[in-house]
Amino acid sequence: MAEWNAYYHNEDEEEEQEEGEQSGGDYKVTGRDSLVFLVDASKEMFIKGEDGQPSNFDMTMEVVRSVYTSKIISSHRDLVALVFYGTEQSKNPRNSFKHVYVYHDLDEPGAKRVRDVDGLQGDKGAQLAADTMGSGETSLGDALWCCANLYSDIKLRLSHKRLMIFTCRDDPHGDDSTKDRQARTKASDLKETGVVIDLMHMMKPGGFDVSLFFCDIVSPPEDESELGLQLEPCDKLDDLKKRVRAKEQKKRTMSRLNLCLGKGINVAVGMYATAVMTRKPSAIRLYRETNEPVRSKTRTFHTQTGSLLLPSEIKKAQVYGKKQIVMERDEVDTIKRFDDPGLLLMGFKPMEKLKLHHHIRPAVFLYPEEDEVKGSTCLFSALLMKCREKNVFALCRCISRRNYPPRFVALVPQKEEVDHGKVQITPPGFNAIFLPYADDIRTVDAPQCPVASQMQVNKMKEIVSKLRFKYRSDAFENPVVQQHYRNLEALALDMMAPEDTEDLIMPKVEQIDQRLGPLVQEFKDLVYPNGYNPESKPAAKRKTGQSGAEKKPKMEVSEDELKAHMQNGTLGKLTVPILKEACKQFGIRTTGTKKQELLDALTQHFQFFL
Amino acid sequence: MDVGFSMSNSAPGEEPPFELAKKVIQKFVQRQVFAETKDELALVLFGTDSTKNPLDQDGQYQNITIHRHLMMPDFELLEEIQNQIHPESQQADWLDALVVCMDLLQRETKGKKYDRLNIVLLTDLNTGASADHLDVIIENLKKDGITLQFFLPFPVEEDEEGGGDADRRGPSHPGMGKGLSREQKNSMDMMKHIMLSLDEEDGLDQIYTFTNAIEQLCMFKRIERRPMSWPCQLTIGSSLSIRIVGYKAVTEEKLKKLWISVDAQTNKREDLKRETVYCLDDDNETEVQKDDTIQGFRYGSDIVPFSKVDQEQMKYTHDGKCFAVLGFTKQSLVHRHQFIGNQVIKIFAPKDDEEWPCRPSSGRWHELKMVAIVRYAYDRRSNPQVGAAFPCIKQDYECLLYVQLPFTEDLRQFTFPSLENNKKFTPSDTQLSAVDSLIDSMMLVEENENGEQVDMFKVHQLPNPAFQRHFQCLHHRAVSPGTPLPPMEPWLKAALERPEVISERCQAPLEEMRKTFPLTEVEKKKKVKTSVGSVDPARDFRILIKQKSRPFGEVCQQLTHRIEQLLSNKNTQYYMKSITCIQAFREQSIEVKKKKNTLTIFHLRKYIMIGLEVFWDLLVQGTISLFTWDCRISLKSFLP
Repeated sequence: MAEWNAYYHNEDEEEEQEEGEQSGGDYKVTGRDSLVFLVDASKEMFIKGEDGQPSNFDMTMEVVRSVYTSKIISSHRDLVALVFYGTEQSKNPRNSFKHVYVYHDLDEPGAKRVRDVDGLQGDKGAQLAADTMGSGETSLGDALWCCANLYSDIKLRLSHKRLMIFTCRDDPHGDDSTKDRQARTKASDLKETGVVIDLMHMMKPGGFDVSLFFCDIVSPPEDESELGLQLEPCDKLDDLKKRVRAKEQKKRTMSRLNLCLGKGINVAVGMYATAVMTRKPSAIRLYRETNEPVRSKTRTFHTQTGSLLLPSEIKKAQVYGKKQIVMERDEVDTIKRFDDPGLLLMGFKPMEKLKLHHHIRPAVFLYPEEDEVKGSTCLFSALLMKCREKNVFALCRCISRRNYPPRFVALVPQKEEVDHGKVQITPPGFNAIFLPYADDIRTVDAPQCPVASQMQVNKMKEIVSKLRFKYRSDAFENPVVQQHYRNLEALALDMMAPEDTEDLIMPKVEQIDQRLGPLVQEFKDLVYPNGYNPESKPAAKRKTGQSGAEKKPKMEVSEDELKAHMQNGTLGKLTVPILKEACKQFGIRTTGTKKQELLDALTQHFQFFL
Repeated sequence: MDVGFSMSNSAPGEEPPFELAKKVIQKFVQRQVFAETKDELALVLFGTDSTKNPLDQDGQYQNITIHRHLMMPDFELLEEIQNQIHPESQQADWLDALVVCMDLLQRETKGKKYDRLNIVLLTDLNTGASADHLDVIIENLKKDGITLQFFLPFPVEEDEEGGGDADRRGPSHPGMGKGLSREQKNSMDMMKHIMLSLDEEDGLDQIYTFTNAIEQLCMFKRIERRPMSWPCQLTIGSSLSIRIVGYKAVTEEKLKKLWISVDAQTNKREDLKRETVYCLDDDNETEVQKDDTIQGFRYGSDIVPFSKVDQEQMKYTHDGKCFAVLGFTKQSLVHRHQFIGNQVIKIFAPKDDEEWPCRPSSGRWHELKMVAIVRYAYDRRSNPQVGAAFPCIKQDYECLLYVQLPFTEDLRQFTFPSLENNKKFTPSDTQLSAVDSLIDSMMLVEENENGEQVDMFKVHQLPNPAFQRHFQCLHHRAVSPGTPLPPMEPWLKAALERPEVISERCQAPLEEMRKTFPLTEVEKKKKVKTSVGSVDPARDFRILIKQKSRPFGEVCQQLTHRIEQLLSNKNTQYYMKSITCIQAFREQSIEVKKKKNTLTIFHLRKYIMIGLEVFWDLLVQGTISLFTWDCRISLKSFLP
């Protein structure tokens, strides 16, 4: 991971840099995703770049490692393999292929594999590769065949199959047209079984000519355009990472919906989540004796008869105004049902009507689904162009799934952007921004303050410009998640201590101070009255004359008081500390410490006595 | 509430004021019950046949009944209003009733903390009220800080001060009947006098009609939460810190209560018990005790036992509450669609800080179009975030808006095919102009005659329809158990549709769109094989022949082509595959009784020509009896 320091330049001096890992999906799918890294291990791959630049092989290993670790964090059920071709030694399941070395079979990546890949990096890594595998003859056909076997040997259901070839040789078989032909045949076999083949071609002297050979090997790009093959070879690690990251994950729709413009005008669109909060994973239970995972089964039974209850023997209820209101389980669902899933166009508004603070959840991305409704892409594209041209957004009512209540979204047009290497950095489509209802907006009384003087404003402006940097959304790793995985890694590999994680969202205080220099004091002199200390606590508002003994309010309530409150429905008036105390007092176990949970617990406890 | 006999009078075809007043109260109480506010409420009826109030002495304060004392409203109250409150046959002085209410408030709020005291009078003012002590009453209302609201069957206009002429008001308003009685006119004057004494400017704004009130109360109350203040320090580097206070300003509000499971027979929660058991993943599903399990985590394929204690000790820790500036960046680099989390926090200068010299630092840089990137931590226990603080300058206040931004791990960098560079999907000029006029016809923001912008669809003023429907159904089930759930309220249904003006205006442009953009739903079919593939050509060939979707000859040709391809690899494994193809070809040929296999033989001959001796050897080794049926040709004759 790049140092955050790297971004901490004034932006004029800054170069384009792209960095970061990719997190995986939380979609429920049948089958596993699989990815095979097929890496050229010929001598050419080990040639170091100028000025000590890493070799192509080094860069590849770095990328493989970053994919491994990101898979572990975000999609540990994906299967990944690492296969080398053009080796001297051979190692594959039935040893039926020469010069193909299966380093990692298709499996879930784990701590050991990450270490293995670490071991292949740098000078030592190159030495290790030379010792164990060496460089020899090349037959891409055999390598592809071997990979095909890896896929077919897997007994699990595979939902997405991808193979990435990393090489810097555009003509791997020289003049041997038979080998070329074999490779083509095998590649078409793979493609036919649903494997997508990508080329991650890297720089070599004289350039990389895709049309010589590899154009027949790789899968055609999604949009049937020429874009895929026009890609320049990668000469930077960041470019390579970016390119791999863009392909490594299967795009999955959260849902496919119709965007209805009017009766009979339905455009099919797919909804994609492009930013999802990654959390620490939840713990799993293990059997103490064997450390094997146990499964948990939850069942509901009748307290008196002890018999297990069927779903039909259970109803749902809520209590309001001291009354329990009961519904059938399917009624609970129908209450939430307003209409069939879909997006309904309400109209358009100028972009400035979209308020910055109208944010309630992460946006989703919309892209047409030509496979569902033919003609969608054209209409979608026209809508996108016109919305951008007129600087408007489309307001839609959105029901994203069956029995989901409606939300309103602003469809904001987004133009496609590509970087210098013609890699897409922003896809074309609409971002759907979820808008708040009246219930979601809280009334906040704004305190009145005096206005800042122009001098003060100017001083602050100076401070601001001293601390300018170029923000990039992928520059900050989550220290909590990273620390958690380093800990697990250390335990899994029996390391003495976990690797250090750098907290990238910590302010670089020293650098900031240094940059600001005397500005801070100048600003303070302008703004703060003499002797003002913003860090001191404001004087306590109410000082009681009595000694500290009376400070804590009485936390106890008698049972009678509690019962009276319950009878009058005024239990909610008690404060959380008092409720907690009451729970403790009567030995009531609660599910949580939220007020509602405490109330529920108390009510349930005393129900029998009322 | 006035339940006296005049409240049941109404013109033919109109609902009597009594029924309307009852509806107002029902709706109001409903809202209170579901909003679960801690507001307390009492109900005093006047015009009742009996008398029940503490001021009942010496024939004073007659026909006034305290129906319910000051307490939180509940369904019991709703049921009572539904079933026990009827029109009665007496009349009572509404000013007396007001005094009873004031007395009740005074008695029953003793020792309670409260924000506000309010008396709502629902009456037709059709009683001769005695103006005695009117000044004392007003004085006491002022002294106790009690506010008043009147709900009447008819509207009150401001220009009628001093008597009022009923005819000028126009007879159209329901409830007006034949105009106002002398008592009503008299009472009206007194009411206005009281209201204007309490609030000279806007006193009359607190007088409503029943019908308006019902309309406004049909929505359930929006969820209101008092924002908690979050005092902190905004820091820039080690020595510049600015005191701030944050409030959650926008957040996705959820219903406070979850559904609980109850036994379907008894409707009792305690008749159900949920239990979680753990079992091994073996054939017997052997159960293990919870105490015999430990905590662990997945690290890819590894499963790592990791106790709670260890986890706690090794986990990421930080210094707690924090709002520290990491740097400033161009606002254009922080993309709206990358906002994450589910809230927006407004950051102000603290209220009580008298020494605070000026508005928070926000105003000082907004001209630069820059935002601050900050590290935010709510407290020691919560995870730190990275986020952006946007300066926000409003007419009457300035603040910072804080929104969380994604971490690297949160982003998914999907790529999608280009739309503009794809000729297949490029819209024509006609199509573009159709979209153009559609957008023009569907603009929700327009300028009115005064040049002001009017937004006809403000989402942030709409109550969450899910909550509205939820409460509607709960209410229905509570008061009419055993009946099916009601349909959605018409106003709610309408609020979720396109505004009518827009629907009408966009008809023609939509018709144009329909004409210019052909849209056809793709029928979902099972994938059908259309050609002989390279992986298992023999199987594909058999399937295709069976399907009969393609001419026999064509399929044969495809297979032949594949065989050629396979053979050109000059590799034993491919030869074997070719042979299975030839087998398939033969067996299918027999089935369809086509004897044109000479074609193949002709081709085979070609292979032999190009020197596939190894293949030929395999062929003739006898594993296949290739030409055993009616076209017996000596194989050897093909050899070169």
